[in-house]
Amino acid sequence: MTGESIRDKFPIFNTYPDLAYLDNAATTQKPTSVLEAITHYYQAENANIHRGIYRLAAKATDRYEQTRNQVMRFLKAPERECIIFTKGTTEGINIVAQSFLTARLNPGDEVLISAMEHHANLVPWQMICAQRGARLRIIPITKSGEIDMETIDELLTANTRMVALTHISNTLGTINPIEAIIEKAHKQDIPVLIDAAQSVAHYDLNVQSLDCDFLVFSGHKMYGPTGVGVLYGKREWLEEMSPYQYGGDMIRLVQFEKTTFAPLPNKLEAGTPNIAGIAALGAAISFLNSQDLSVIQKHIQELGSYTRKLLAEIPDLRLIGEASHVTGIVSFFLEDIHPHDIATFLDHSDIAVRAGHHCTQPLMNLYGIPGTARASFAAYNTQEEVDRLVASLLEMKAFFA
Amino acid sequence: MKKDPKILYQEVILRHNKAPVRYQKMEGAQHHLDAYNPICGDRFSIFLEVANGVISAIHFHGYGCTISKASTSVMVEQLQGKTVEEAMKISKRFLAMIQHKDDEEAPLIRDESLLAFAPARDFPGRDSCATLSWDELLRFLQNLHS
Repeated sequence: MTGESIRDKFPIFNTYPDLAYLDNAATTQKPTSVLEAITHYYQAENANIHRGIYRLAAKATDRYEQTRNQVMRFLKAPERECIIFTKGTTEGINIVAQSFLTARLNPGDEVLISAMEHHANLVPWQMICAQRGARLRIIPITKSGEIDMETIDELLTANTRMVALTHISNTLGTINPIEAIIEKAHKQDIPVLIDAAQSVAHYDLNVQSLDCDFLVFSGHKMYGPTGVGVLYGKREWLEEMSPYQYGGDMIRLVQFEKTTFAPLPNKLEAGTPNIAGIAALGAAISFLNSQDLSVIQKHIQELGSYTRKLLAEIPDLRLIGEASHVTGIVSFFLEDIHPHDIATFLDHSDIAVRAGHHCTQPLMNLYGIPGTARASFAAYNTQEEVDRLVASLLEMKAFFA
Repeated sequence: MKKDPKILYQEVILRHNKAPVRYQKMEGAQHHLDAYNPICGDRFSIFLEVANGVISAIHFHGYGCTISKASTSVMVEQLQGKTVEEAMKISKRFLAMIQHKDDEEAPLIRDESLLAFAPARDFPGRDSCATLSWDELLRFLQNLHS
């Protein structure tokens, strides 16, 4: 189910019937089932987890741990201990950078990322490298916004300690050949982190067949709530990692003199989590499982190519990111009209797009532009909304002429 | 429900955007300010000559949206030839208007070019477009003055 037929499941479109919400790469709207999961949790299952003896506490713990199992199955992870709940993608990456990589990084070592990374998958590595006297190296991209695969072999050196890569670019829409890059990195025993923030909603992920060392994503970009996410890691790495936050739940035995830590996954989950958010994440996974993912994927890719086709006909409009493997994320730039003006003008017609650098400032610099306007699609978007976008852009061009 | 873009994009703003005042780099300018908004990437260089407490020359150059460019152009147009004190007063009044603090500063702005930016207050994120260069300039003038 896509487009009009799935719209009724999303209450926000009852609140705003005229809204063409084309900013799904920033966050997605939520189906009723996800909202109900939050309410249901607080109405019937709310207690603190892991420590209670009474039945309500057991319900809360069950809900939390069942969701962990759900995520494990969703990612086809081997064990539930490999699934760590976080606040989101950004936190997940920071945890790996600090708790995994720092101990392994020495002066002269290298960390490899691509030129299209979101700041969340750039700044943490940059900071750790600076701290440890290591070097951050960048895989270049081609003009069409694809990873330059010819450079990979020489960029994976004897000094490379980590590769961090986005599965799908939030600015360009490019789908990266992560399997091939993971394989190359593993030939030299280099661990790889995959940023799946943009792919988790619509692309089938199998961490075992990918054989990635870490994978991160956020709930709010897959029809789930804000404030929750997942860090998947291979067991051997998570066991090696020291906790990055200390406190309740992550301990085994606490004395004034010393403390021992809980086993996985609790070791990396200090404090009371966003239990209701996790419950809602579970509902979001159930929602996706109830859909035919390949149909949704095809739908958003078709909306993407339809948009690209129509935008290419607008004079003075430049598309950024025209990879051969690309999803329903379309960034564009008008020669004489600033992205902010585009976004305000479109907002006048109830069309929501994002304008700016999309947290990829270095990528913008590579293209020599300060920012773009970006349309990004989800299951509930329609071709009619794209037609509205194009009509509005043409009106805008006439207005500013 | 459709809104009229003319509410935000008034004639004077469109005019300043198309033909910005003294839009040129000034080599070897006495003062060079960098007005930068990291959220959107708007960035203007403001070039100034200040002699005997008067802004004898003020130019600008750079990249920005319609609102920030027009606002900087209006600023450059209005403040050339003004004393540092006068320029500070006008800047404060303009910023107060955009930040909805009209009652704190009297007399109210009557100038049509400055008033044109008032609607930016009501458009998400666009108020900072209007204030970008004025904020930077006021900071500079306050340092100069003290």
